[in-house]
Amino acid sequence: MATGGGQQARPTRPSSFSRVSSSSFSPASSSSTSTSLPPGVRIGANGAAFVSSGIPDLDRILGGGFLVRSVVMVMEDADAPHHLLLLRNFMSQGIVHGQSVLFAGPTKEPRSFLGTLPSPVVQKEGLKIKHDVSDVQDKEKGLRIAWQYKKYFGELTAVDSHNRDKKQEYSSDFDLRKPLERQLLNSQNIECISTQDAFDLSKLQNHCLTFVSKLSLKDGINSNAGRIAIQSLCAPQCGYFEKDWDMLSFIRSLRATVQSSNAVAVITFPASVLSNSISKRWQHLADTLLSVRAIPDEDKDLAKLLTGYQDMLGFLHVHKVAQFNSQVPVILDASTYSLKLQKRKSLVLERLNQAPVEGSSGVSYATSGSCSSSKGSLLDF
Amino acid sequence: MAEGLIVRSLRDGSLPGEHAPALCLEDSLPSPLASHSHAVFRHLLASLLSTGTGTAVVLVAFHRSPSFYLSLLSPTFHNSIRLLDCYSDPLAWKSNHHPPPPSHSPQNITLLTNLNHLPHFLSSILHLAKDLGAQGHDRVTVAIDSVTHMLRHAPLPSVLQLLTNLRCHEKISSLFWLIHTDLHEPKVISSFEYISTMIASLQPIVQLPDYANANISASITSLEENYSKAKFNVRLKRRNGRVKLLCEELLIEQGSVKFSSVPSVSSVVAQNLIPKVQFNIQLSDKERMDRANVVLPFEHQGNGQNIEIYDGRRSLSESQKDPSSTKIGGLSEQKRSNNNKSEKGEIHYIRDSDDEQPDSDEDPDDDLDI
Repeated sequence: MATGGGQQARPTRPSSFSRVSSSSFSPASSSSTSTSLPPGVRIGANGAAFVSSGIPDLDRILGGGFLVRSVVMVMEDADAPHHLLLLRNFMSQGIVHGQSVLFAGPTKEPRSFLGTLPSPVVQKEGLKIKHDVSDVQDKEKGLRIAWQYKKYFGELTAVDSHNRDKKQEYSSDFDLRKPLERQLLNSQNIECISTQDAFDLSKLQNHCLTFVSKLSLKDGINSNAGRIAIQSLCAPQCGYFEKDWDMLSFIRSLRATVQSSNAVAVITFPASVLSNSISKRWQHLADTLLSVRAIPDEDKDLAKLLTGYQDMLGFLHVHKVAQFNSQVPVILDASTYSLKLQKRKSLVLERLNQAPVEGSSGVSYATSGSCSSSKGSLLDF
Repeated sequence: MAEGLIVRSLRDGSLPGEHAPALCLEDSLPSPLASHSHAVFRHLLASLLSTGTGTAVVLVAFHRSPSFYLSLLSPTFHNSIRLLDCYSDPLAWKSNHHPPPPSHSPQNITLLTNLNHLPHFLSSILHLAKDLGAQGHDRVTVAIDSVTHMLRHAPLPSVLQLLTNLRCHEKISSLFWLIHTDLHEPKVISSFEYISTMIASLQPIVQLPDYANANISASITSLEENYSKAKFNVRLKRRNGRVKLLCEELLIEQGSVKFSSVPSVSSVVAQNLIPKVQFNIQLSDKERMDRANVVLPFEHQGNGQNIEIYDGRRSLSESQKDPSSTKIGGLSEQKRSNNNKSEKGEIHYIRDSDDEQPDSDEDPDDDLDI
């Protein structure tokens, strides 16, 4: 492995699969190489480069963000437009960092989608952050932790304090109520393509190839990262909808294109309109696979089961997380998160919390639910 | 209620900037008499037309002849409906061999023979919609008798494109269609559901019995119920991104359709969605404050006050605030309330005996001789 030599100097933890341990090494490496990286790209575990997804919680869950040179797929739910939230944050983050963005959508006017992109929240920085950093350092002096435990505490605070400044640049919080400024949208490196009337995907494929070749021409060695966002690739109203194998070969060629350049591709597709076997093939082609689900409205049972049900927009399920340069799989603590709007403006992902159990009934809903699903007959003594 | 919601949504049309609402009415074989769903279709048609002078309908008739529909509606509504006749001559046999007779057809029926060419189809619908608009109807709804028939003549993506274009068009305020689910592959049905905002389907009240095991004779008689009743399931996609699921009972009586709400059947909660739900062990601010206010049962509270020994005879000032406290001699009881019933948590500690010195029971292991 190319990065093996660099890693031997650091103490290894044999049985830790969590991402927190590996991302603690990033301050040392990123501070030395940050000057040579294009904006918005960060080096994470195993020497892999990440770009932010636009949602800080999602970056944390995926262990740094979306891997550069990977294809991220989002399985849509036919009942809800939550995949658009993910796409919007992804594209806004790219535009804010000045990266090139290619957008393809199944509407006649894909440019109008740019009008819905959110703008970043203006942080009241300065005072607050510096205060935190000095606070943390004082705490560390006062608290005498035995050296073998320091590695658990130390890395969390160290990561926070080192990366606080960097984090603001790498991944911003977006205000979904405020649209992105016009000047940013009019820049040269944003392209929009419509896929509705296309009878095959060759035009889109050519666009992607030229987009990616433009990326590497720019600066020579450290070219800017590029973002390709394709909305509803297999939307049924597109002309190529019945050509399953053509769509699969398009995705394969997109993967190859993206792997040989500094780009990330995010593709959303409604999995329900594809046949099962083709949908499975699509899912296997993804490096990172997410899915969004709609939740039923005014569902009393669900409201009893989960806290914060009223504020939830939907669920996000993480099926697969991409790995680079490593044989160790990513095992997440939880794979289903709820999408919520914090203060009605920025998107947060939260773990699902079970609502407090009714004291009188004794049995929690979850167990009674599983009992009823079996529909066994009641035992009569 | 479900039916009312649907009619209202179709009547109201779309907000500016949104696509028109579209209802997909699904019909399936287990619910006998495909006419059930057709009855619902006709019912929707009638209720839309009868709601006022503003609404007009362009009806694309594939399944029944236009005169059938006209006979259903009272003559007052004949002006607010335009029919596109795709029933009489879909394959253009008559018009190819015999020249069309001088039109005896009433004003509001337009014959269409070239069904393969969807752009022409779209423009005919829009032409009729404009016609109606010119007459003063500001809300035009397009009803398609059945999309299944359309799919015979044109491929799926173009039919979907047509429906999407209709939804985007400013003259059309809402759209609904009927589809027979058994005649298509599942992915076709899910594509139609994908582009619609409301999905209504009819299911039989009594499921078909399992012939291998069940007692057949008893269940067959109950199947008769299916001929008059059906379950009407509606799935509405709301603007906030959530899905509203409704279930009602449908009664067909002498050709007219009645909806009644069913005693609430617990819908399948998305149990499969939530594999791992954790307990939230974080305390909210209110809970933290309550915890800080709890008086601990130890006699020495650590705040320099005199040690008070509660012996069960005198009442502490705190217990007066909580009338529901129980005083059982010889038992020590802890009660800690975090909910909003009482502002302060209370703990009542009753000493076992008077002989013990205060704080002498701090470390019960002291008397061990190791």
